Amino acid sequence: MRAAAHGGTRMTWKTLPDWTGLWEHTGGFNFDPQQKGPRATAQLTPEYQQKYDKKLADIAKGIQWDPLSYCLPAGYPRWLLEPFLREYILRPEESWLLTEQNEEIRRVYADRRGHVPADEAYPLWEGDSIGFWDGDTLVIHTKNLKAGQYQRNQPDYSDQATTVERMRKIGKDQIEDIVDVYDPVSLQKPWHVRHIYRRVTTPNLRINHWSCEENNNVVQTANGSTDFLLPGDKGYRDPNSLAPPPAPAAQTPGAQ
Amino acid sequence: MSKAQPAALSAALCLAALASAAPALAHHSFAMFDQSKRISVSGTVKDFQYTNPHSWVIVTATGADGKQTEWGFESEGPSTLLRAGIKRSSLNAGDKITATAFPMRDGRPAGSLISITKADGTVLTFRAGPPPAGVAVGPPAEK
Repeated sequence: MRAAAHGGTRMTWKTLPDWTGLWEHTGGFNFDPQQKGPRATAQLTPEYQQKYDKKLADIAKGIQWDPLSYCLPAGYPRWLLEPFLREYILRPEESWLLTEQNEEIRRVYADRRGHVPADEAYPLWEGDSIGFWDGDTLVIHTKNLKAGQYQRNQPDYSDQATTVERMRKIGKDQIEDIVDVYDPVSLQKPWHVRHIYRRVTTPNLRINHWSCEENNNVVQTANGSTDFLLPGDKGYRDPNSLAPPPAPAAQTPGAQ
Repeated sequence: MSKAQPAALSAALCLAALASAAPALAHHSFAMFDQSKRISVSGTVKDFQYTNPHSWVIVTATGADGKQTEWGFESEGPSTLLRAGIKRSSLNAGDKITATAFPMRDGRPAGSLISITKADGTVLTFRAGPPPAGVAVGPPAEK
């Protein structure tokens, strides 16, 4: 890719584009914002299609669980469509792509290093990202991902997934990210999507520390779905006072 | 909290069929909420927990029999609420309010907050952006 871009653009502090400010994802919660109807646009392998069909069938029955409820990270590529504040910190040799949720930071190395050697690599929430500049476009290659889901109503991907992104500013208040996902385990062909992020203009807004444990009383039910512990329930953690962590096993909401 | 007995509450409760479900901005599934219905509960704010991953408004409502029930209404975290114009100072303990929410499927006294109407008529809409198609965020359709 870098060769196709004639070696890429050598960025300096003076030539870096200006992506300062706060940003938010637009286009909803489907990995492909162009999705029409309830099903994702990915062409899944039979195994992952079957898993996705079961997931949608469970959702239709009111059974749904999200690992985020245990305060785990969203992880990339789901990271792309989380609805929280974002900030992009560009340096010539490395860029940080931040969301406030769980302080998830993607580090994109653009100093011509390669990926972590295979014998040292292991699955990562945000993967291992290297990139280069092609003019004002940041081209990113990501691998070494943890398996996960694109969103609660979207398919799963495997730890063999890799992505290529082309990120650029397309106006004063918009950043575009064109993403191709390659995953021979879950996809029959690469999944091509386009995401748009818009500038947030709310006065005085800043990204602050986002503690998922601060007020989280979500529990998994016996049938694998989702419920709350409410004030007065056994195991409820009052955010106004220090409390011991909840029992790890599924709890029964409403139990006194 | 024990299961609420809506008939015993002076809180105005209403259930109205809605055409479609609201999208969740949450870090959890909305499976526990019945997004085809909504409730309206009048009471006094006990606590506005302006927290991550979700904010909660705890409301004390008094039934016709004088029994008090504590309701919990979940909303989004601070940065999302700020984008919707709702500040920590927008609600205070002691405020008289009416909350509109998607109720819990199991009937416990909690819900996913849609809006709050304060005693002075101010309406706080606890969802960023326009409401989803088919979801009215104004007064309940029926009582």
